[in-house]
Amino acid sequence: MDLSRAPNDRKLYLCKWYFRAGFIFLPFVWAVNTIWFFKEAFRQPEYDEQKEIRKYVIYSAIGSVVWAVAIVAWVLTFQLNRADWGEFADSISFIIPLGRA
Amino acid sequence: MDAHVGEPSRSSEIGINPGKRRRLVQPVGGYGATDSVEGTSHIPNAEIRDGGSSRRNPDAPDGVLRTNEQEQYDEEEEGLKYGAQHVIKLFAPVSLCMLVVVATINSVNFYNTKDVYLLYTPFHEQSPDTGTKIWNALANSLILMVVIVLMTILLIVLYKKRCYKVIHGWLILSSFMLLFFFSYLYLEELLRAYNIPMDYFTALLIMWNFGVAGMISIHWHGPLRLQQAYLIFVAALMALVFIKYLPEWTTWVVLAVISIWDLIAVLSPRGPLRILVETAQERNEQIFPALIYSSTIMYSYMGTHHPDLLSNRNEASETGTSHQNVGEGTPLVRYIENRDAFDVCQLFALKTLSVEKERIYLPLAHGMSLIADSRKLFNISIIFLDNAAGFTEEWTTTNGPRSERRQVEVQANSTGNQNRPAQYRTVTTQSQPVQNYEPEPEERGIKLGLGDFIFYSVLVGKASSYGDWNTTIACFVAILIGLCLTLLLLAICRKALPALPISIFFGLMFCFATNAIAKPFTEKLAAEQAFI
Repeated sequence: MDLSRAPNDRKLYLCKWYFRAGFIFLPFVWAVNTIWFFKEAFRQPEYDEQKEIRKYVIYSAIGSVVWAVAIVAWVLTFQLNRADWGEFADSISFIIPLGRA
Repeated sequence: MDAHVGEPSRSSEIGINPGKRRRLVQPVGGYGATDSVEGTSHIPNAEIRDGGSSRRNPDAPDGVLRTNEQEQYDEEEEGLKYGAQHVIKLFAPVSLCMLVVVATINSVNFYNTKDVYLLYTPFHEQSPDTGTKIWNALANSLILMVVIVLMTILLIVLYKKRCYKVIHGWLILSSFMLLFFFSYLYLEELLRAYNIPMDYFTALLIMWNFGVAGMISIHWHGPLRLQQAYLIFVAALMALVFIKYLPEWTTWVVLAVISIWDLIAVLSPRGPLRILVETAQERNEQIFPALIYSSTIMYSYMGTHHPDLLSNRNEASETGTSHQNVGEGTPLVRYIENRDAFDVCQLFALKTLSVEKERIYLPLAHGMSLIADSRKLFNISIIFLDNAAGFTEEWTTTNGPRSERRQVEVQANSTGNQNRPAQYRTVTTQSQPVQNYEPEPEERGIKLGLGDFIFYSVLVGKASSYGDWNTTIACFVAILIGLCLTLLLLAICRKALPALPISIFFGLMFCFATNAIAKPFTEKLAAEQAFI
């Protein structure tokens, strides 16, 4: 999909769609939305839909950053406390690393 | 009218359901039939939108209507000029795909160990006897080939019968499997190989995000880079699956046999892949994005037509030519020919035309991929009307008869009737289907089937699984040289070519030659401390 050739209302539709899709635990989609539409939102000569696209891009950026912080925080907590949590940590572990001889 | 301009956002979903679509067609027709006065008042509106889009394409090529020979010539010249660029554009993804496979094979032990086999390969080459092994490998690859041939034929039959939904369902299902199940397996084995602990929440979140974003970008709209990345990853994953689940010698035999099949399928006059490509070109459609890696934009047919159309329009309004300007064989005409009733309705009923459902024969109930872009139709339809009507003033004065005429046009066009009055021939069907066999001059990108990616990677991955880097690199270079030759042939032959045979032949040759000759030689040299 080439954005530069798409009509403006199509851009807005896509941006909005991506933004809405991001709510179902899809921070990656938000990140994609931010990067994909960044140029459209900030680097293009102004047009009618741009304001709204900009809004969605900013919200998506905020959302993905919040998610990223949350994920990093959780992963750090998990990695640091895994050994201490004992059985509970094992029960939520996808991969339990093997000990080295 | 504004409501109509806003409509296509939903029409992408409408495209999926023909029933729904038809329901929408009727109100459009009824609307157009009743108020012709209102239709005229929207022309300035349309032009403003138009101007905006033409401003976005300042580098549009000159819209002079060129003859076919000139076009051909230009095409050839540009083909040579950009050929090298395209070679590089394909090198990168192919190399990336191989890189992913080779890196995985070398770091994740899981894909190297043989324990489970595919359902299609019932003979597991367990016997130490070479004869039995060869027999097993041949039998396995024969079964696998039969499956592949049947699948290909099924795909062609479905495509010919326009069962797009079935094909899309099939493709979505298979990419779903790859993006979710096999990726899950991949993640698990990757983490296990590097001994990284991970909790379920993070793992599930990663899988969910990865899979859904992949589905969106492959099957719907997404940034081109993301789509390419996903296609490369999917191909690499599939290659890994083949390497893991095929018995040792079967893999080699399958590679050889499949390149022969590729040769037959693409080049023989009734070959299924040839039929697929030709049908797609006839219908002016993209082959399903999940099957093809495209070095440029998907939907490039529609996309690249914009500048031409716009400049056509500009020229028309500048020189004051009437609607005869839209000659035969212009992109616009070809474009319109391949629309279905819904689009034609949108195209014409935008102004005042009454189009009844019964009077329009569905020339093409095309796939979702095109329908999904129907928002673009609005710009185009506006352009067309401007173009067809020449000037707005002219439009307003001759509004009544024009709409009648257009009705005839629609009818004539939809039935493909060639012997209608010359006056209505502004929208004609192209009588020479031969033209359609050639790649569209507007499509500059080179497309490579994902299957080619997969089997290239299988070869390199398999070569690297023996742990010898010389062989791996020899295979890699051989495949790229083969790809170069194929692309060179593509520039000469100008038709769809199988990408597997030359590359795989070179690859197999280099692999075994390096393994059997170069490797012992270098080892001997190293042992004797001789350096060349």
